[in-house]
Amino acid sequence: MLRYISTRITQALLILLGVSFITFLLLYILPADPAVQIAGRSATSETVASIRAQLGLDQPLFVQYFNYMTNLLQGDFGRSYLQKSEVATLIWSRLGPSLSLMFFAIAIELLIGLMAGIIAAMNRGKALDKTLMVLSFVAVSAPQFIVSILILYIFAVKLGWFPIGGYGDPIHYVLPALTLGLLGSGWYSRVMRSSMLDVLRQDYIRTARAKGAPLTRIIRVHAFKNAILPIIAMIGLDIGIFMGGIVVVESVFGWPGIGQLAWQAIQRVDIPIIMGVTLVSAIAIVLGNLIADLIAPFVDPRIKFR
Amino acid sequence: MNILEIENLRKEFTNKTTKKPIVAVDNISLSLERGKTLGIVGESGSGKSTLGRIMLRLVEPTSGKIIFNGTNITNEKPAELRKLRSKMQMIFQDPMVSLDPRMSVRELIQEPLDIHNLGTKAERTKAVEEISEKVGIAKSALEKFPHEFSGGQRQRISIARAVINKPDLIIADEPVSALDVSIQAQILNLLKELRREMNLSFIFISHDLSVVNYFCDEVAVMYLGNIVEYAPTSELFTSPMHPYTQALISAIPEIEIETKSKRIILTGDVPNPADAPSGCHFHPRCPIAIASCARQTPLLKNYGSNHQVSCNLVGVNA
Amino acid sequence: MSTLRRILKRKSALLSLIFIALITLAAIFAPLIAPFSPNEQFKDGLTLQGAPISPSGTYLFGTDLLGRDLLSRLIYGARTSLIVGIIANGVAVLLGTTVGITSGYLKGRIGSIMMRFTDLMMAFPALLLAITLAAIFSPSLLIVALVIAMVNWVQIARVIYTQAISISEREFVIASRGLGATNQRVLLKHILPHLLPTVLVYATLGIATTVLLEATLSFLGVGVRPPTPSWGNIIFENQTYFITAPWLVFTPGAAIILLALSFNLLGDALRDELDPTQRGLS
Repeated sequence: MLRYISTRITQALLILLGVSFITFLLLYILPADPAVQIAGRSATSETVASIRAQLGLDQPLFVQYFNYMTNLLQGDFGRSYLQKSEVATLIWSRLGPSLSLMFFAIAIELLIGLMAGIIAAMNRGKALDKTLMVLSFVAVSAPQFIVSILILYIFAVKLGWFPIGGYGDPIHYVLPALTLGLLGSGWYSRVMRSSMLDVLRQDYIRTARAKGAPLTRIIRVHAFKNAILPIIAMIGLDIGIFMGGIVVVESVFGWPGIGQLAWQAIQRVDIPIIMGVTLVSAIAIVLGNLIADLIAPFVDPRIKFR
Repeated sequence: MNILEIENLRKEFTNKTTKKPIVAVDNISLSLERGKTLGIVGESGSGKSTLGRIMLRLVEPTSGKIIFNGTNITNEKPAELRKLRSKMQMIFQDPMVSLDPRMSVRELIQEPLDIHNLGTKAERTKAVEEISEKVGIAKSALEKFPHEFSGGQRQRISIARAVINKPDLIIADEPVSALDVSIQAQILNLLKELRREMNLSFIFISHDLSVVNYFCDEVAVMYLGNIVEYAPTSELFTSPMHPYTQALISAIPEIEIETKSKRIILTGDVPNPADAPSGCHFHPRCPIAIASCARQTPLLKNYGSNHQVSCNLVGVNA
Repeated sequence: MSTLRRILKRKSALLSLIFIALITLAAIFAPLIAPFSPNEQFKDGLTLQGAPISPSGTYLFGTDLLGRDLLSRLIYGARTSLIVGIIANGVAVLLGTTVGITSGYLKGRIGSIMMRFTDLMMAFPALLLAITLAAIFSPSLLIVALVIAMVNWVQIARVIYTQAISISEREFVIASRGLGATNQRVLLKHILPHLLPTVLVYATLGIATTVLLEATLSFLGVGVRPPTPSWGNIIFENQTYFITAPWLVFTPGAAIILLALSFNLLGDALRDELDPTQRGLS
């Protein structure tokens, strides 16, 4: 048990190490010279050289990596090229809105996805099942930016039920969380459906029905617990996809999170910010997977002592 | 000259979770004369299949030597080993899984020739057709796929594959165990005929003593990785000396009621190789075991002409 | 090919195939089909206030913010989306399959290292990584395709890896090695043929992902750059007009969704036919 936990944690740390190295390499191979970008167009070559020395860009690869890692571990993600502030501060200030959005989005995803999956499984083969599955396909095939714009157009512009983007009141959460949630639910509903179908076929379900238990009770007590196992593993993976999604959704809905930060940085090619957000997302993904791995044994007793 | 010699062959597997070693093949030595057939008999867990694969180096031994036709092939490099492979072939137990379902019969039988680049295309086609006829596969069947055939037919395909390169040695791992009894006889007779025509040497692995009796010149009986008895076939069946062999032979169903000998029934199950009993591995099930059998590991000793037994008590009761 | 026939029996797959064929034909014959040149800015293409014109007689789908004919841009955009999608996916499948097969067959050290590497790559959010790479390297159709491929090959590699391992352990592979076959021969003649169904499924599903990724990258401004039309960058350029001229956003949007949907449905149908154990999963 303890061995399982420690192995997983070590793996996670190793992956984080690798992630930081790759992020560093990407920064290293930038064709654009950051010193020039910071100094500005009219700077003299001496200024550029001194900035370069200041940034430690004239050092050999390993020294630079070492500096990078020490900074990273102290929470220093570098400086933005264009905004005169540290990447870490920028990200930190915007983390809150993104995390709260993610929380609601995942809640909606799971709610819609799981229910749709269960209903589809219970009505296997009938029209309801087919409709739900086609809808889930559409959810998987639709790019976030289009759906965001569509939802914004219909519910905020045409119908005026919701504000056109922005942040501050609970009502602002609805559209962005709904967009993310609807799209993500497509994936979950399909997995839940096939997982439920597998479980419903099992003998222990048949036994319960033979004992006369009503269907809803069977679902609640037996089927759900077992069908949900693959879902837990997916949540970790989902965070990864979510991290990509917030860039688009936050920019469309004007949500002041790290996604919007990344989007602005993309427009201005402010590499340190883009890298910072990427790194933070990677960390979130690794953590997400780790937590999913650590929870898994408690939900599925078969995994416990692997 | 001996076509195959094995010296002190040992194979250990390590259980990944418990890290304990499992000894599948424990210090086995034997030799096979050219043209002869050696049967290796044992139940599941005896290590006989592993031994067969080690002989071809499909599984690598932990220690020991394999000498094929005078050449020490134990450490031979893959490239050299591949060339030798055409001279020593294997026939597997379940032809359904040992034949690639996506290849036609012709492609399967021709594969050994393709691999070693022997002959022109026309020569290869001719060789395939000749050998197919010899093993009893109709020419019209050559374009079909394995799943379209019965078990016996598929085994014929496997045999054709094994002999088309005119090997010196064939290692047959339970070649008839998956077949219906009536088909078994057909296949065994086919093997006998090929053996005679091509002067093949055989290592014949089986759990079925009556089959071994029919096909082999000599027999080695294995139990949990050790050879417990080794003798020419007729002698093994008339005067078995190891209690395990005796039990196995007494269990062979007999048709004539008069010759029915008293059945020796062994207690217990075959132990897990990961948990082999101490001393003589057989002692927990042995009807004549005494206390010291649990401590003393017996060695294979010679009793009479070419009859070897590994038992602490044989000299005493013989 | 009886499999093909069975797939075509499903309505969803049939419709998808038809749609894909139509888009492909439009892309190939763009110069013949498009009413105008996609980059030509027309004097009468904008209203007096400089806004795009709604769908009318001359301009069937209206014009965009620079007075260009939307329909023509959409048709040429099909070219971009398909080219990038297919090249990107082709590279991803090629790379992923090669890595997957070799590490699955060779196992041991090489296999674990390769798989650890894919674990590492999967820790990065695909979109952000693509954005970073696209921002670093100068934009061109090929670069965009390669960037997408870099991000997508990992998933295919993992799937092929697990399958390659299980196939390598089947007895007919051991039998072939017993006959003396070289590793190359075993990989090409025995293992790869058994993996082809999976490769085909992922080749199809993969195009949906690459098309979507290209559209998103172009929408963010880091994919295909204007004036070369891509469905994604048409939306990017015209997003400020989405309230007054929503068709500028929704026609390319619908096109993207339909194309991705078609590839997804087709790939799913293929998977159901070729590998029953994976039914119902995406």
